[in-house]
Amino acid sequence: MNWLGEFARRIGMLLHRDRVADELQEEIHLHLDLRRHEQVEAGVAATDAAAAARRRFGNPTLLRERSYTVWGWNWLETLTQDVMYGLRAMLRTPGITLVALLSLALGIGANTAIFSLMDAVMLRSLPVKDPQQLVMLGQGHASGITDSFGVTQLYSYPFYRQLQRQNQVFTDTAAVFSMSSDVHGFVLGRTTAEPIQAQLVSGTYFQTLGVQAAIGRVMSDQDDRIEGGNPIAVVSYGWWQKSLGGDPHILGKTLKIADTTYSIIGVAPPEFFGTTVGEAPDIWLPMSMVKSVPPYFNAYSDNFGEALEVIGRLKPGVSIAQATTNVNLLYQQILRNFRGGVLSQRDKDTLKKAYVPITSVATGLSGLRRQFSAPLMLLLSISGLVLLIACANIANLLLARSTVRSREFAVRQALGAQRSRLIRQLLTESLLVATAGGALGLAFAAGASRLLLRMISSGPEVLPLRVSVDGQMLLFTLAVTVTTALLFGTIPAFRATKLELTKSLKEGQGAVRVHGKSLLAKSLIVSQVTFSLLLVVAAGLFLRSLVNLNRVDTGFQRDGVLRVALDSTSMGFKVDDPRLQSRLREIEEHVRALPGVQAASFAFFVFHEGEWSGTITVPGAESHPDEDVVHDVVGDDYFKTLQIPVLAGRVFGPQDTATSPRVTIISAHTARTLFPKGSPLGRHYYFGGPSSKDEYEVVGIAADVKIGDLDEEPVAMDYVPANQHPTFLSDLMVRYTGDSGTVATAVQRAVHEVDRRIPITDVSTLDEWVARSITDQRVIAQLATFFGLLAIFLSAIGIYGLMSYVVSRRTNEIGIRMALGAERRQVRWLVMREILVLVAVGIALGVPAVLASSSIAQHMLFGVSGSNLANLLAASGVMLLIAALAGYLPARRASRVDPMVALRYE
Amino acid sequence: MPASRDEIPPGTLYLLILKTLARSGELHGFEIANSIQQISNDVLQVEEGSLYPALQRMLIKGWVTARWGTTAGNRRARYYQLTPAGRKQLVDEVSQFERVMGAIARVIQTT
Repeated sequence: MNWLGEFARRIGMLLHRDRVADELQEEIHLHLDLRRHEQVEAGVAATDAAAAARRRFGNPTLLRERSYTVWGWNWLETLTQDVMYGLRAMLRTPGITLVALLSLALGIGANTAIFSLMDAVMLRSLPVKDPQQLVMLGQGHASGITDSFGVTQLYSYPFYRQLQRQNQVFTDTAAVFSMSSDVHGFVLGRTTAEPIQAQLVSGTYFQTLGVQAAIGRVMSDQDDRIEGGNPIAVVSYGWWQKSLGGDPHILGKTLKIADTTYSIIGVAPPEFFGTTVGEAPDIWLPMSMVKSVPPYFNAYSDNFGEALEVIGRLKPGVSIAQATTNVNLLYQQILRNFRGGVLSQRDKDTLKKAYVPITSVATGLSGLRRQFSAPLMLLLSISGLVLLIACANIANLLLARSTVRSREFAVRQALGAQRSRLIRQLLTESLLVATAGGALGLAFAAGASRLLLRMISSGPEVLPLRVSVDGQMLLFTLAVTVTTALLFGTIPAFRATKLELTKSLKEGQGAVRVHGKSLLAKSLIVSQVTFSLLLVVAAGLFLRSLVNLNRVDTGFQRDGVLRVALDSTSMGFKVDDPRLQSRLREIEEHVRALPGVQAASFAFFVFHEGEWSGTITVPGAESHPDEDVVHDVVGDDYFKTLQIPVLAGRVFGPQDTATSPRVTIISAHTARTLFPKGSPLGRHYYFGGPSSKDEYEVVGIAADVKIGDLDEEPVAMDYVPANQHPTFLSDLMVRYTGDSGTVATAVQRAVHEVDRRIPITDVSTLDEWVARSITDQRVIAQLATFFGLLAIFLSAIGIYGLMSYVVSRRTNEIGIRMALGAERRQVRWLVMREILVLVAVGIALGVPAVLASSSIAQHMLFGVSGSNLANLLAASGVMLLIAALAGYLPARRASRVDPMVALRYE
Repeated sequence: MPASRDEIPPGTLYLLILKTLARSGELHGFEIANSIQQISNDVLQVEEGSLYPALQRMLIKGWVTARWGTTAGNRRARYYQLTPAGRKQLVDEVSQFERVMGAIARVIQTT
């Protein structure tokens, strides 16, 4: 191993460089000495002897250097020198360095962080076998349960079974319950109930995904054959670690949910989080157990209990188009059969229009994606613009700095420095800035992606998403910034080193060839202003949109109300057990008696919690509305608690009992659309289709409220009293005065005094709860504002840097002007005018860009148009103001130039 | 001083140093320069300084090792010595030199 020994010797030399140099020096010295002695002994005069010795030897310095460079470490020493020099240069101008580093770090970090989140939410494939073969029926845009005929987003269990048997395009077919069940259960015989997130899936689920158990086995189709027959559970790896202490002998142990005891048959692999991105179920239960899991949906045998998402694995060679044809054919047949072959005209119309799209689920299902994909794309574009601005800034800073140093380069070249050496040194300096900025950016990206995840998690818990800094994106942004640094660090290097030396030395700071260079710098400033304007406009729009959303009249009074969410399914009563309702009434009364509490009432839904909707039939109505009515089940004091105005009729009261005639209160919108003629009070209608016997009498009309989202149009709603409609009510609403914390504690104690088994899942004020519903808009507004401010800041620094440079280059000219009688004011204006022209050009270019891109963001805005003029004017004003501020300091410096000093400089 | 001295042919400096060291055992730089000159009857003149880069390269290649010792005049000097790898290199260099010189000789003698 020759080269190995050689390498070791080279390394050894590197470690003892100084000694090697000294020894060479000594060796050569000895040689010259000995030769001189020899000459002297031969009778040559002492002075001639030394000269002769040197003549025979050659140039000792050069030879010593050559002997030294033989070791091949020259490049490293040059590099070290360059880096050290570069570091010193950076430290000499700490302001510029700091700004360059910050620009880079923020540009790289923000882009990488946003892209990493986007990757986690939208792009990353599920950790299952061949995810690209997985497809779903529908688009995954719905969750919940419905009994409507002809829906194409959710499917019933019997439909899944028929499709599984008859299709010719899937190797495996699976079904996933579209709602995850947040239940409370007793684990391993423990005495306190723990919250468990359960996911109901068909027995084929794991097999379809190709997921094997880490311990034990996954469930099979056999476990899902008989309704209620197989109480088994597969647990997630994370939950096994967290709640079961990673017990290796977990198989066969049990957990109890409601009345049913499940035995654990296996642990899923660590990377498997299910099929919904942004959720991480603790356990998976077979669909055959759906009726035993609170809230006990009848979704196993009911042909129209449509609550499932259906997933298939395509057979090899089958295209999505072929699958679509086959599935749609079967869909029509199966639905026809579900009606026993007898279809009403309405059914026929529905079925004719029904179309089942087949979509890829390689990246999983996700409501999160629906909510955040557009905002994330938008934010990525915004941060991309910020990266461009940051690059322009770095370019400008490097340009300005190297131009200022052109004299230094001239001197160094005159002293014999090689041109390539100078260019290499400038390159090293640019690279140094770029690498340091990149390292900072990486650190920033890691922190920022965690912060982003926190921001998009609307509740108190952080979403269970694996967000890791995306390597490719990081490389890409690094490449962009490093290229910028190299390009703009080197262009001036080439120029500076091509100087005609004498001219540059003679003229000192003279106004030589400033124009070419500052044209490049000026166009950089103009583009910065243009981009910044775009970002400031965006920030303005999203802030206004957020303000508008916050000002929306919800119809209920959101201040001074607590929302206490509790899991009434865990009280151990079936839904029709009268003790359930009397216990809930008892809680209401107990809470109402607390000091500081004015009213309290249970409700099924309040706001942004999902909905229960269905058709109603109004006898005598001419046309049947397409729109379903949203139903809510509420306690007697609900309207008083939320201060929803009752416009006509009465509220529910003790007269509305389980045995009295069934009554409803309808919303104003329902009254307008379904009862257009005469007063609806006293009129009767039916829940369900034309053959329904489920009759209700209208006793009141309440004002419209928002029920799903703040930006929705008025919704047709009706309310039924809890006493007549036994349900697992989950929201205890409490109107209070005084401190919310004190009242919240008292309310929770009161609830547990009535029944200590009830788990309380969430306590917040209604105001906070409403605010959570606009998390996405708030995140966009916050980030758009942050990036807008960042853009302004970077541009201001760019302008300041350029103008300082221009002023310093024009000191002579300004001196002459002042000597010739120009006033300070005029000089200031001279500089300011230049800035304002640049900004005006930037704004003039920015306005069409704003108008062209406003439509992209329009659907994310509420109550403000993307091309809003006031906003555009305000943004332009802000840009002008900031530019004027940034330019004022250099302008003032210019006006303080002492003509004598400036002229003497010449 | 002889009237004319010839530059050594390019590429043979290593060969000369190796051979000199093989003959004399341990020498310092000045001695190597003198030795080459004397043995060639003052015909071959090494530009003395260029010995040193060559010696450094031979150190890297592992053909020679060096140690510090004292001269007859009681001065500190670096003495170079052949390694086994150096001996092998000498054999290689000699055979290569002979091949080349033989070829050149044949070219010259062919009239």
